[in-house]
Amino acid sequence: MSNEAVFQAPAAAGTHHDAHGDHHGEHHHHETFITKYVFSQDHKMIAKQFLITGMVWAVLGGLMSVLFRLQIGYPDANFPWLQDLLGKWWAEGGKITPQAYYALVTTHGTVLVFFVLTAGLSGTFANFLIPLQVGARDMASPFMNMLSYWFFFTASVVMLSSIFVENGPFSGGWTAYPPLSALGDASPGSKTGMDLWLISMALFVVSSLLGGLNYIATVLNMRTKGMSMTRLPLTIWALFFTAVLGVLSFPVLFSGFILLIFDRNFGTSFYLSDIFVNGVGALPNEGGSAILYQHLFWFLGHPEVYIILLPAMGMVSEILSVNSRKPIFGYMAMIGSLFAIAILAFLVWAHHMFVTGLNPFLGSIFVLLTLLIAVPSAIKVFNWITTLWRGNIRFTPAMLFAIGFVSLFISGGLTGIWLGNSALDIHLHDTYFVIAHFHIVMGVASMFGMFAGIYHWFPKMYGRYLNNNLGYIHFWITIAGAYMIFWPMHYEGLAGMPRRYYDYSVWESFKQFADLNRFISTVAMIVFSVQILFLVNFFYSIFKGRKVTTQNPWGANTLEWTTPIHPGHGNWVGEIPEVYRWAYDYGKDGKEFIPQTKPIGDDESHH
Amino acid sequence: MEHTAEHQEHSGGGTKEIVKVTIILTVLTIVELILGFWMISIPLERASFRLAVKGTIVILMLAKAFYIVAYFMHLKHEIKNMIMTIVVPLALFVWFIIAFLYDGNSFRHLRNTYDPHYKEQSTIKIEKKEHSSETKQEGAKPNDAKDGKQEEKKATH
Amino acid sequence: MATTATAPGTKLWGGGKSPFNVEYGKLMMWYFLMSDAFTFGAFLISYGTIRFSTNGWPDPNEVFRSFPFAPEGVHAPLVFVSIMTFILIISSVTMVLAVHAGHNMDKKGVVKNLILTIIGGLAFLSCQAWEWTHLHHEGAWWGANPFLNHDGTASSTNFTNYFFTITGFHGFHVFSGVIINIVMLIMTLTDQFEKRGHYLMIEKAGLYWHFVDLVWVFVFTCFYLI
Repeated sequence: MSNEAVFQAPAAAGTHHDAHGDHHGEHHHHETFITKYVFSQDHKMIAKQFLITGMVWAVLGGLMSVLFRLQIGYPDANFPWLQDLLGKWWAEGGKITPQAYYALVTTHGTVLVFFVLTAGLSGTFANFLIPLQVGARDMASPFMNMLSYWFFFTASVVMLSSIFVENGPFSGGWTAYPPLSALGDASPGSKTGMDLWLISMALFVVSSLLGGLNYIATVLNMRTKGMSMTRLPLTIWALFFTAVLGVLSFPVLFSGFILLIFDRNFGTSFYLSDIFVNGVGALPNEGGSAILYQHLFWFLGHPEVYIILLPAMGMVSEILSVNSRKPIFGYMAMIGSLFAIAILAFLVWAHHMFVTGLNPFLGSIFVLLTLLIAVPSAIKVFNWITTLWRGNIRFTPAMLFAIGFVSLFISGGLTGIWLGNSALDIHLHDTYFVIAHFHIVMGVASMFGMFAGIYHWFPKMYGRYLNNNLGYIHFWITIAGAYMIFWPMHYEGLAGMPRRYYDYSVWESFKQFADLNRFISTVAMIVFSVQILFLVNFFYSIFKGRKVTTQNPWGANTLEWTTPIHPGHGNWVGEIPEVYRWAYDYGKDGKEFIPQTKPIGDDESHH
Repeated sequence: MEHTAEHQEHSGGGTKEIVKVTIILTVLTIVELILGFWMISIPLERASFRLAVKGTIVILMLAKAFYIVAYFMHLKHEIKNMIMTIVVPLALFVWFIIAFLYDGNSFRHLRNTYDPHYKEQSTIKIEKKEHSSETKQEGAKPNDAKDGKQEEKKATH
Repeated sequence: MATTATAPGTKLWGGGKSPFNVEYGKLMMWYFLMSDAFTFGAFLISYGTIRFSTNGWPDPNEVFRSFPFAPEGVHAPLVFVSIMTFILIISSVTMVLAVHAGHNMDKKGVVKNLILTIIGGLAFLSCQAWEWTHLHHEGAWWGANPFLNHDGTASSTNFTNYFFTITGFHGFHVFSGVIINIVMLIMTLTDQFEKRGHYLMIEKAGLYWHFVDLVWVFVFTCFYLI
């Protein structure tokens, strides 16, 4: 009853842990369709579930953006087929209605941030890569992992259902600031739509916590022999910090939501004070503070952007190194900067609130902390570029998307330096400059990271390749389109064009942008259709793609490529391989690559 | 504690330690309660003094939290690295608390400055049956000079 | 023990084992509690923020002055809540003893101390139920605050809003802790842990229970003392 007991505890705990015993190898219990594809506890299947659910949401969210771009780009036009398609509430007379416009903008934001880029990105790749790359048969708790997906699925269903309620989904912006979100009388979407929104988000928080705790425990406890923390691929480090961010920040959002639920339903005034609602009159609520909600929201909200970005960063680091056939430049600096970003993520939240009534002196401290983020970000960019430098680059679609990520991260990150200044923010807040900034640096960049990951690990997921030519088309149109959509928005924002307006053509100051807006909308539609092309490629290739014939098609060092082409539940046949070196021995001693499982030779040089 | 090479499970002292910690927790709670009772008799005007007592109570609270986490939850006897993974993230609370409370205080200044109705409301006393009226006078005077001293006092109520 | 405990410290992070000598379940419980600490932290910090942004606040010694079965109008501040606090501390002690007994594979000790812990938890919940009922009778509820500020001015409802929300959330944690402990008790009585050869589950339940006690230390201070 000492250490041994501690170590055998999981095995004895009886749930599933025979999968971790080394003697078992690939492990076949009788699997039905339900246990294999629906309530699966295999991390690889759960990853695919996350990915495909995320894709469904990406299509819906993207479609929503196309619809509201239609309104911004063609404010005077009528599209009668829209009413036939969407109904009167959404598109009366073939024109997106104001309430539909705000509902679309809000749902687009919520869905893309939480369902696509949090669950779809880190849910997919944390599940898929953590056990494979650290050398574990599955997650620490496969059952909780399964629950994590199903909580996400339930959250998805609730959110989807909110689109179909009578008054429409919540329409007060994805940040759900009170009083708009707290008062049912404030707007149509603040009624049932908001209730469903809150339920969905609460379920999502549970899902994210279940997942995050699992990821952390797996990375810490389940690494295979020899896999010390400093031998982990950078993907794992990034996913690890992502999980830490989620576990520490989502609870704060949860608390904020509970207070909001009380404000909505039980007559409290946590966030409410001195409110007069048109048609209702003065409300009795007194003593609350709407700024408090903003603090609570952004205490999650800011770490959230790194929850979105870090997995992309990690995968890009890995893909750049593999396809440059060079070790990643500054491995420890990469970990250090990830760590610095994770810490700073918690210290800078109020830079989203510079002009909402935040104390200006406090704001100045937040400026300082915010601008500090430039340091680790610059380190990362420098290291990515120096990894590419004189590399023997293979331009696979994954590699192109990884390079595209670096490009977008630089151009979006630079505008962050502007927005991080509270003085400049007086002019720039709530304009299209902000839209351009966060879409490029967080939205599109992370999408690129996700695409890079999908192209790179698709052979491991499905044992087939994605079509390369379609991949190239996908990449070039997407990157050109992303810049064509978001670059002009900087100019609009600098000229003062505010976000979230329904019709800019009625404003004398913004009439000049009518053509530009139409241009952006057109490109948005083209880019969206190219994403459909990618989906076709994806689903076609699952069944009909070119078959993978070698275990290690990219010549990569990491452990997932030592598993069979179609790994079963348990990942490795026989014993889990032992690890002897870090993940980045590319081009060392004249060898193209040396897998982590190869023992260090006597004549080998030190890296 | 020399427990590293030893087996883990007995490293945490045993019954003797539990008794010791129980006594410490009891004593700390009693001291807190004594301070709490004492504070009833300290008039509101002595704001900084009240604040000092409250500060002492908070320190005692943190001491109690330490004993519960370290001994009851056994954290002190875990490996140092594990202690760090739990204690370091808690350091985030420092800025969390400072920023939130500072901004809360600032919001009250804003309202008192720009919302005369609010300010006025908080000075109207309501007749009360209880005998706490000796502490009535200073509370929130219609002193329009928003001097920091008065504000500080209110913050500590 | 001889095999796994050799040369600790040198290869802790080397992979193939837990760097903390802790099985994953306990690790997850710890990190879950950490995230729960942020939930409660956010509640209490929100409470502080609102208190800092409000002119005046009720005096807890006036609000929480009653005692069960005492005549109306009795003035006994802090007395009832100190009893609640001690109940929780003692139940935490019995939980430690249960974990301790589990380490020694002492089934009887585990059963005895778990029962005491459950009784403590139920006693605490009853106390809280009485206090809530009493306050409710006085007119306090979410959105209703009958109490005046310390200086005699009208108070905003946020005093009661936060009181009921946070003590309610804590009470919910106590309640789930009692449920967990009852499950542990049943599992102990049916010899599940004997069969496994260890009582590590009790340890995890214990962590949760102590956390509930820990939160109370903060709630007690924030609402009743300062």
